[in-house]
Amino acid sequence: MKVITAYCNLRADECLVNGKVVARREVGSEDSWFKQIYKQQAWVYPKFYKMDMLSQAGYLASELIKRANPGISEAYSDDEIALVFANASSSADTDRRFIQSYEGGGSPSPSLFVYTLPNIVLGEIAILNKWYGENMFAVLPKFVPGFYLDYSRILLASGSRALLGGWLEVTAGSTDVFLFMVEEKESGTEFNEENLLHLSQTVAAY
Amino acid sequence: MIYIGAEVIISPLGDTAEDNWEALSENRSGIVLAPGVGFNKEDIHLSQIAWLNGPLRFQRLVIKALAALKERIDASILTSDRTMVLISSTKGALDDNLHDQFGETCSAVMQQFNLAHLPVVISNACISGVLTLNVAGNMVEAGQYDHVIVIGCDVASDFVLYGFQSLFAVSDKPCAPFDAARKGITLGEGCGAALVSGMQSVFKDKPLELLTGTSANDANHISGPSRTGEGLVRCVGRTMQKHGIGTEKIDFICAHGTGTVFNDEMEAIAFGRLSLSDKPLNSLKGYFGHTLGAAGVIETAVCMQMMRNSMLIKSLGYCDAGTSEPLNIILKNEPKKLRTILKTASGFGGGNASLMIRDL
Repeated sequence: MKVITAYCNLRADECLVNGKVVARREVGSEDSWFKQIYKQQAWVYPKFYKMDMLSQAGYLASELIKRANPGISEAYSDDEIALVFANASSSADTDRRFIQSYEGGGSPSPSLFVYTLPNIVLGEIAILNKWYGENMFAVLPKFVPGFYLDYSRILLASGSRALLGGWLEVTAGSTDVFLFMVEEKESGTEFNEENLLHLSQTVAAY
Repeated sequence: MIYIGAEVIISPLGDTAEDNWEALSENRSGIVLAPGVGFNKEDIHLSQIAWLNGPLRFQRLVIKALAALKERIDASILTSDRTMVLISSTKGALDDNLHDQFGETCSAVMQQFNLAHLPVVISNACISGVLTLNVAGNMVEAGQYDHVIVIGCDVASDFVLYGFQSLFAVSDKPCAPFDAARKGITLGEGCGAALVSGMQSVFKDKPLELLTGTSANDANHISGPSRTGEGLVRCVGRTMQKHGIGTEKIDFICAHGTGTVFNDEMEAIAFGRLSLSDKPLNSLKGYFGHTLGAAGVIETAVCMQMMRNSMLIKSLGYCDAGTSEPLNIILKNEPKKLRTILKTASGFGGGNASLMIRDL
């Protein structure tokens, strides 16, 4: 059956993997919240610093899922993991920053412009992992488990063997990121609407 | 069988697929020199719809396209809960509402046409249109919906123009896909729509068959095309394999062909690796400019018109071979019976998508 084998919730002040807190935001830090996580995990991927918030969020959450679920990359050939992501505000935060780059008397910033598309995060994850599989990014009013269930069924029946799903809503005012890995296993947390909704709302156990 | 038909094209060349076809058959382009629109007030070549001014341009265009499509189908399916509407776009109504670029349009479309479901937006840069047609076909094939309407739409904006200018990717002449002297893209705006359904009876005119394809990432660079065409090779290879169609069956390729040096080179390499170099091929960007999220839908609709009219359309802007691998680029309009065609797209984020259409 299809099961959720790992998941990550990244919110404004804490980051959870499989329900356990792996990082808490240091309020006094000079680093952004995403940079704090990056440094704490001691990853070396300088491209991280060039990414916009959406791509940074996707990078962090997907790397944390891989760390919690070692062997994902080896278990599948390079085009068998599909990426299906969605959010509500597209790339609006980076769009706003790009507009500011040319409205205040400056010139349009090419390094911001290339991130003014929501699917760029899929490209970043594909590049990092050398994954050549299916990609889709949808813009939905809110997180809807049924959307992922429906489309995953199609992909998993037509060549893809695993799926990395994601809800990536990162704006100036809020951080609501939920990534999850779906694989075929004999047992585990079944990939259904109820479980997906429940895991998206995971609360840290204190 | 998955059917596709009732195609609609709204562009500077006309408001219907037939008007656009007439312009294409005369090799007329929608691209004109727009004075002083560049970031430094340069004159820029653009393909813009003359009547499309003022607020809510995206929403108005989407509604106009769906209203036109409604005339070409059994209109009763629009309100059915077995019907879904998918919108393919990159920047939506950015000029109207930066923070919610699609929500208002989706609600307005749902209300105006009394749809059972809120439309879903798919936003995958320049492959959005082809990808969304594939999603539509997959949804019908899986029995999730009986009918899926695809609307691809993007409108011109300072935002996108300045962005491509900042990348030095805008051509100072009308774009010339695959030509030796190509210098970049020409931006366009427009809207394409089509119905994808498992039922032939809902189309007023005879539909064609949609052979849904796959997508593949290049895993190479977020804004630079792959040097090897790996993603496009994998995606087209899988699409043909899925339907058991060999290269000998492909009568024509409608390529992405943006007119940038590296994109067109990448495509030529990929088609060479796929043993498709000898197939008649065009890019339609010389007629419509690059309409981003609308491009795949508009260009697929043109392919359908080419099949219906048994005519290959010249690749406008092309004169001299300009890729390291040879291509069989269409130099002039030519009558030809088209049984099976291949449509491809590639874009930012490393995405590639393809589909095929077959005559019934």
